[in-house]
This record gives sequence, structure tokens and C-alpha cells, in this order.
Amino acid sequence: MISARVPRILALLVAWLAGTAAAQAPEYDLAARAIAPGIWVVEGSTENFSRGNGGNIVNTAFMTTGAGVVVIDTGPSRRYGEALRALIEETTAEAISHVLITHHHPDHAFGSQAFEPATLYMLDDARAALARDGEAFADNMYRMIGDWMRGTEVVVPDNVLAPGVLEVGRRRLQIIAMTGHTGADLVVFEPLSGVLFASDMVFHNRALTTPQSPGLLGWRAELEQLAELPVTVLVPGHGPVSTDLSPLRQMADYLTWLDTLLADSARAGLSPAEVMNAPIPARFDGISERRYELVRTTTHLYPDYEKRALSLLPE
Amino acid sequence: MNILINILVFVLGCLLSVGVRAAWPDDPFGSPMWAYNIERYLGSDARVVHDDRVNLRVPEFAEDSAQVPLTVDLSAFPEAPGQIVAWVDLNPVPHLFSASPGPQPLTLLALNFRVQQATTVRVAVQDREGVWHIGSRYVDAAGGGCTAPSQTMSNPDWERHFGTIRGGAFSRAEGMRYKVNVMHPMDSGMVGNIPAFFIGEVELRQGNGQPLLLSMALSESAAENPMFVFEFGQRPPRATLWLRDNNGNQFERRLGGDL
Repeated sequence: MISARVPRILALLVAWLAGTAAAQAPEYDLAARAIAPGIWVVEGSTENFSRGNGGNIVNTAFMTTGAGVVVIDTGPSRRYGEALRALIEETTAEAISHVLITHHHPDHAFGSQAFEPATLYMLDDARAALARDGEAFADNMYRMIGDWMRGTEVVVPDNVLAPGVLEVGRRRLQIIAMTGHTGADLVVFEPLSGVLFASDMVFHNRALTTPQSPGLLGWRAELEQLAELPVTVLVPGHGPVSTDLSPLRQMADYLTWLDTLLADSARAGLSPAEVMNAPIPARFDGISERRYELVRTTTHLYPDYEKRALSLLPE
Repeated sequence: MNILINILVFVLGCLLSVGVRAAWPDDPFGSPMWAYNIERYLGSDARVVHDDRVNLRVPEFAEDSAQVPLTVDLSAFPEAPGQIVAWVDLNPVPHLFSASPGPQPLTLLALNFRVQQATTVRVAVQDREGVWHIGSRYVDAAGGGCTAPSQTMSNPDWERHFGTIRGGAFSRAEGMRYKVNVMHPMDSGMVGNIPAFFIGEVELRQGNGQPLLLSMALSESAAENPMFVFEFGQRPPRATLWLRDNNGNQFERRLGGDL
């Protein structure tokens, strides 16, 4: 009786394991959208990381130059990087020569294993930040998106990207180093077509994130520099591509509101939990994840506002 | 034979504890530690009710497992609160603080705590009849906050800032709010080769022979460099903060403002 059942149970078990193995390897569904001659953007959602989206919440991009494809950011995981590379190779016959990683956050820098190490470039301070925080980010990413991360390892690019002009084929890319989002943030401007790859210096219809931000007002000041460029298409790090500068105005408005909220709350002696529950103005209703990010930003930045609002008590 | 006796004791113990726990309301969060920690911190004969007027505010997730903000707003509590006990169910040492307010009604208390893993958090407030009113929240977390070395100690000149105390007094619509920040590593003793070193005793004194505004016992779940907020429904004539850590360091500061 028992011996007759065992093979059937085994067979069921094998079938079940095979089924779950297949179900556990979901694929990213990436699409390249042309935004200018020879320039494509790969848009992600404006959600938070989840096991449903595999961390595809980010915009990556690539462009042909006549002398090799320039890629901007590699995405949240090895699997994303591989899908991005396959998409690039479907879209153009040109070989990939430069992969510019805008900053050290996992959603932008964790697909690098899919690309040749010699093609990877990053600002020097961003390389140091990735070496410092990469493993902790990876742990957190495995927790948040699970199996999508399988096989992903932190890769710190060997090549240092210096601010100035990077000439590749017919394009003379402006390499701009900023600090507002993480302390080492790359912005790339392509003057032939006027495309600004703002990366996470600009979040559009998606609340900005602050875990390594050195300060909200410094961030806002840097955005004013970007507004002076002759931009025709703005590619934010998160959220929809724009053909005007309205995302910069939305960012400035949001940063000003956040800074004022934190400063006023500190002056009124509010506790962090009270700030996290503060009302968010209705004009920001179109910005996703704003309550979630207010909770995070309060954790990151409010302690300094609080300390500045208190006075040293003499013994 | 011994085994039989052990089994008998175990079964009796289970029956007894079931008998006691039946008197407590169910935990809406279904925490395995609900009854155990009530018994541990409030006693096996505690009378317990859920009460939203113990307005406990913690974020739904811990962005930093070593610094999770907690605020207990008692402004809707119908009487001056008695004993207040707070704990974090799944921490290695769940107890966060026990506070005894004086005659001035305490309307709000805030501080940061650590979480070791996703957990429920409880604040129990005792009324005049001795009944405990419990506010509960769930906080999701990557965890590890209790067994991570303090940021303070990784800074080579931490001793220069050790014991630095900043404070402020804030007039409220009714009453007075005090906010105090103390630079102290608050080491939990759960990190290898770093002994427990934390502030265990906190008092807010009025002086002049007046009763204490508040006395509070803190445990290992409290976060480093604590930022305390205390609010009273009436403005106390004066307030002095007194602290002592487990190494015997004492700190005393007159709280600022127009006192």
C-alpha cells in the first residue's frame, strides 16, 4: 500500500518543484522608446520596490554615437541588466562602449554584471559610496524583491568618470557632477538633441528619496543650474519623460515644502512620528509614494533639524 | 516517573495560563508574545482593555532599525494617566520604558526605539481603577537594530560629545512641551565586546520639595542619542531633567525656555 503510493507522491513532488522553479524565474518586460534620433529610454513604474515589479521602477537609457553605444544606468538586478543588454542588441547593431552609472543606489547600479567591466564608468565619489554601501543595499534588495535578485553581485566600476566633456563618436556628452540626491550624482546632457539625463536629481510625479541626501536646499540650488541648459527632453530617474522643464519646477516646489515642513516642525517641538503624519498639500496629489517617502525622509533628515532647533543646556 | 510528573506540571501550567489568558481580549495583531508580555510586564492578574485613546504612533515600517520613532499621545485619554509601560514584543529585551507621571497630567511622550525584527509595539496606561488601557501598532523592519554597534562608538571622538544635552521648551495651546536630546551611545550589551552602557533612569523634577513631574525607567530597546519629548497638560512652574546611566554617570540640566 505504502510502497505503491511513494512513486506517485514523488512524481507529484517533482512536478510541483518544476512548476515552482519555472514560476520563480519571472522576466522583466522591457521596451525601448525612441525620444530623439538614436536615443531610447526604458521606462519603469513609479512604484516602490516589490516582488511584483522586480525593482523595475527606474528609467534607464541608451544612445548610438557611431562609435559605440552609451548606456545610462544598468537597473536593479543582474536579470534586469541582462534584459537591458538584450534589448539594446535588438535595437541597434552598434557595440556597447560606455556604461555610465549615475549614482550608487541599487536600482541604478545593480545590473552591471551584464556588461563588460571595461565599459563601466562612475564618478569617483559614487564608486566609493558603492563600495561602502553596496553589500547592505544588496541585503535589503534581496529582502524587498526576492528571487529577481538571484545571482546579483555588487560591481564597482574600475573606470572613473570625470566631470567635463565625454566625446563618443558624434556626441559630445556633458558630464555634470552634482550632490543633492546622494552626494555623488551624475547628470548627463546630450547637446545634439537637447536630451537631459537627470537621473535621480529629478523625480517626476514620484516622491524624491533622501537616504544619503546631504541637504534639501543644496539639492534645490543644483536644480537651478539644470534649468539653464537648453533642454528639449528631460529624462528623470523615476517617472515620465518630459518635453518641458515642469519636472524641475515640481522638484523645487516639493523640496521647498519638505524643508519648510521639517524646519517648522522642529521649531514647534514636534516628535518625528508627528511629522510623519503631517498633512501633505493637495497640489502634490499626483506624486506617488509621497507618504511613504515622508516617513523615510523624516527618519533621514529630521534629527538634524531637531538638533538645530534645540539649545545647548549648560551644566 | 519524573517524566510523568513533568508532563503533569506542564499540562497544569497550560491549563492555568489558559485560565488567566481567557480574561484578556484577543490581540488584533495575533502576536505570539501578547499574553506572555502582558503577564511579564503587567502581571498575571492584570485587567486589560484595548483603547484607541492610548494613541500610539509608530511608522508602519522602520526605515532605520536602530532609530524607530514612537509617540504616545494621551491627549484623548479621559483622566490623568497612571503608570505607563511600553514594550516591543519581539525584541530580545522587549521592555522599552516604564513611566510614572506625577500630579501634572502627562499628555504626550516620545522617544526612539530599536527593532530586532518586524514586531508589534505596545503601550499600556493604567487608569485610576487599575485597569490597563493598551494601544498597539505593528512595525515592519529589516531588523538588527538591537545587535548593531552604535554609530556613536564608531566615531573616534565620541567622548567629546558624550553627555552633551540639548533642549527646548515649547508652549502648546494647553500646557507645555519639553524636548531633550542626550548624546549617549545607549549600548544594549548585545553586541560582541561592547558592554551594556545606557541611561536607565530619567526624572523630570520640579524642585522645591514638589513631587516629580515624571520618573521613567528605560531598557535596552531605547535608541542611542535619545531624543525625548514630554508634554504636560498644565504648565509646570519649572522643570529639571535628571539622568543616570548604568555606569553611574549622572546628568542634570535645567530645561530651557521661559521658566
